[in-house]
Amino acid sequence: MLENKNKKVLPTLREGAGSLLIVLIALSAVIALSLILSKNPGKTLGYFFLGPLQSRYYFGNMLNSAIPLIFGGLGVSLAMQSGNFNLGGEGQIYGGALITTLCTIYFAPLGIVGALLALFAGASTAGALAGFSGFLRMKWNTSELITSFLISNAVLLVVNYLIAGPFLDPSTSLIATRKIPETFRLSALLPPSNLSTALFFALVAVITVHIYLYKTKSGYELRMTGLNSRFAKYGGINTKKFIVLPMFLSGFLYGLGGGFAIYGTYFASIKEFSAGMGWNGLAVALIAKNKPSAVIPAALFFAYIEAGARSAMLHSDVTFEIAAIVQSIVFFLISSEVLLTLFEKKRRPA
Amino acid sequence: MELAVEMLNITKTYPENNLRANDGVDFVLRKGEILCLAGENGAGKTTLMKVLYGLEDHEEGTIKIRGNQENISSPMVANRLGIGMVHQHFMLVEDFTVAQNVLMGIEPRKHRISYDLKKAVTLVNEVIERHHFSIEADMVVRNLTVGQKQQVEIIKMLYRDVDILILDEPTSVLTEQEIESLFSTFRQLAKRGKSLILITHKLREIKAISDRVSVMRNGKMLGTYETDEVDERQISALMMGKSISFFIEHTKKDDESRPVIEGRKITVLRQGQERPLLNGLSFTAYSKEILGFAGVSGNGLGVLEAVLGGFIPTFDGKVLHNGKDITNIGTALLRKQGLAYVPSDRLHIGSSLKATVQENIIVGESGSFKKNGFLDQKRVTKHTNDLLQRYSAKATAQMPIGTLSGGNIQKVILAREIERYRDYIVFSEPTWGLDVASSQFVYEQIASLRDKGAAVILISSNLDEMLTIADRIIILYRGTRVASFSGDEARALSKEEIGEYMLGIRNQGDRGA
Repeated sequence: MLENKNKKVLPTLREGAGSLLIVLIALSAVIALSLILSKNPGKTLGYFFLGPLQSRYYFGNMLNSAIPLIFGGLGVSLAMQSGNFNLGGEGQIYGGALITTLCTIYFAPLGIVGALLALFAGASTAGALAGFSGFLRMKWNTSELITSFLISNAVLLVVNYLIAGPFLDPSTSLIATRKIPETFRLSALLPPSNLSTALFFALVAVITVHIYLYKTKSGYELRMTGLNSRFAKYGGINTKKFIVLPMFLSGFLYGLGGGFAIYGTYFASIKEFSAGMGWNGLAVALIAKNKPSAVIPAALFFAYIEAGARSAMLHSDVTFEIAAIVQSIVFFLISSEVLLTLFEKKRRPA
Repeated sequence: MELAVEMLNITKTYPENNLRANDGVDFVLRKGEILCLAGENGAGKTTLMKVLYGLEDHEEGTIKIRGNQENISSPMVANRLGIGMVHQHFMLVEDFTVAQNVLMGIEPRKHRISYDLKKAVTLVNEVIERHHFSIEADMVVRNLTVGQKQQVEIIKMLYRDVDILILDEPTSVLTEQEIESLFSTFRQLAKRGKSLILITHKLREIKAISDRVSVMRNGKMLGTYETDEVDERQISALMMGKSISFFIEHTKKDDESRPVIEGRKITVLRQGQERPLLNGLSFTAYSKEILGFAGVSGNGLGVLEAVLGGFIPTFDGKVLHNGKDITNIGTALLRKQGLAYVPSDRLHIGSSLKATVQENIIVGESGSFKKNGFLDQKRVTKHTNDLLQRYSAKATAQMPIGTLSGGNIQKVILAREIERYRDYIVFSEPTWGLDVASSQFVYEQIASLRDKGAAVILISSNLDEMLTIADRIIILYRGTRVASFSGDEARALSKEEIGEYMLGIRNQGDRGA
């Protein structure tokens, strides 16, 4: 029995070893950068590493910024597990958030039903944006990677226009839509931070996606299509379906991420409020190696780096770009996959 | 006697399953000899050669090349020492010419910048002429036959001045004639002082080509023998631990046989090619019968397989299942209609290597394991373990199927497809690369399906296999049927005669099947 357990744990450890090494390299990069860039590296590092954990405010904000990353990371993971790429997260979050905001305002009289409808409408819109790329691939074999990216870029511009034009709230100095009614805002956790109960919805989303992928027939077929689509087709799985559906679900999750950002944090679609969330979701999925359960730690790590950099920037003499540098190092190391396979390399005969 | 390779006390353990693939193995290769490394699947032959070629590391033991101890840490080091390996699965860029493939990484330059294609062709043609190969340097690899592709792999090694050449199952995909010409190439190479190691388990070939034979079993080296001094039976006994010969009983088509699958004038065209891949092929597969399609690869066997599997559309003609038109309805619907099918490409089509064994087992049948909307994992695992036991496949339900040996992967595929079968089943190259015991197992399964009343369609380029088990044989040449025999008729003919049909030298005319 014990031996069996070891057999399962060891490969998992070995798989994790690569990710862990990358995290360590990233953290050493923080140290190196501080030593080079800061006049007082000790102080900078102190704020970087401990800042996010020191107060309810910082800690709550860090958790809060992990929420859209979790939704985005799930969205990307789901698409990747089916063998599809969704590079349109930016537009899908932004578009989903706008639709959610507007619908919430219009559906306000319906109460809780209205809120659910609004979330669903926003997420479905985002899903349709991504699903359309899937449809194009199914129909004409266009690359969903390119189309999702291009569509998303166009959507960003359209949403910018809608926020700054027809739906601009003239009563504030921000470029933003009207705010959603107070009754619909999710209650705060750890005030005065921005953290809200949206966190629980993110966790529910992780569990749901995990169950879908690993415990249902449709999830099984999706994964089989992603692992080897020729095999899936040979086995009788309708592989065309699993080009469109995972893309739709991927966009849907991104859209939910946008919706919950509105319900929990921003309360209105502010111009470019979600910039970067889509890409970071992609990075999170890469770190998590497309496993839903690993999305949570990956998102937390990403949020921690960002919060650390913000804290170091406020209290010491480095700029916020240090976060971008560290994140790009992680992104690069992960996507090159060299280190990830380092520990697995000699396992199997070539 | 000069020694090319000495491997002493090599031990190699695969950590994930703690399997000792090589257990204190000693191996010696003399200069200028052809040595066959024989053993069943999983005996450790390929592992030993991968150690020699630097593809696998080893925990214990020393390697000497031409008397000097070497640490071969990668294939590049091996190449530098003059060791080359031709893998069972070719590693060629299909869209490149022979010359481009051969010179990959060492391209001749014009003005030190641009690729000198003319010179490349000249250089490679020199090697081709020196060794009397049948191809030309400016041919595109995609258009070559399997045998010719293998020549490209060998030329690749010869061009790099390799003088110790390892070939993994070099004959497994070749026809009789191709094998003969390959062997004469080998003999010439040996005469020029090159030393060759052939990994194989075909007894007849060991006798035909080798000077010496080394036999492995279960990771151990049993010994090395002068080929003249042992006979096939002795080698077989060493390899298997016991001796087995194929024996499958044949049945006569009886009155209860009925047509199950009918092909009517099936024609398949490829875009941009005038010659059809299949040209008006008609046949009828009856229940209680094994209908074999034989031919040299490239003459329509693969196309027929793809048509029956629903992977490519036909241009003209019909496929009927119990009288119902199933032409071009796609794989998913064919499966629903009752298609059971063991494909030739079992690593890319027949299985999903990264998925677990049980995930491979339930593909397409996952619907029947539902419980309250979810997959009933317990039942899936139980079903899988059941099948693994019944088909004596060495595996567990939860391990990735890619970690199994080729024979065990094929057993898992067989188990799945035989479970699915309703009234007909398609086998394509079912014993390709399998050892004797696994092949016998496959043949028994096929025969028992036939006895249960299945219409079995067997597509195979392995003539021995055809003659062993088929009840009726249709020979394809250039996409058309050139001959058909009952199994007994075929067994009465000599292999050379059948080979002439396969090569298009003879044609029966359309005699009706």
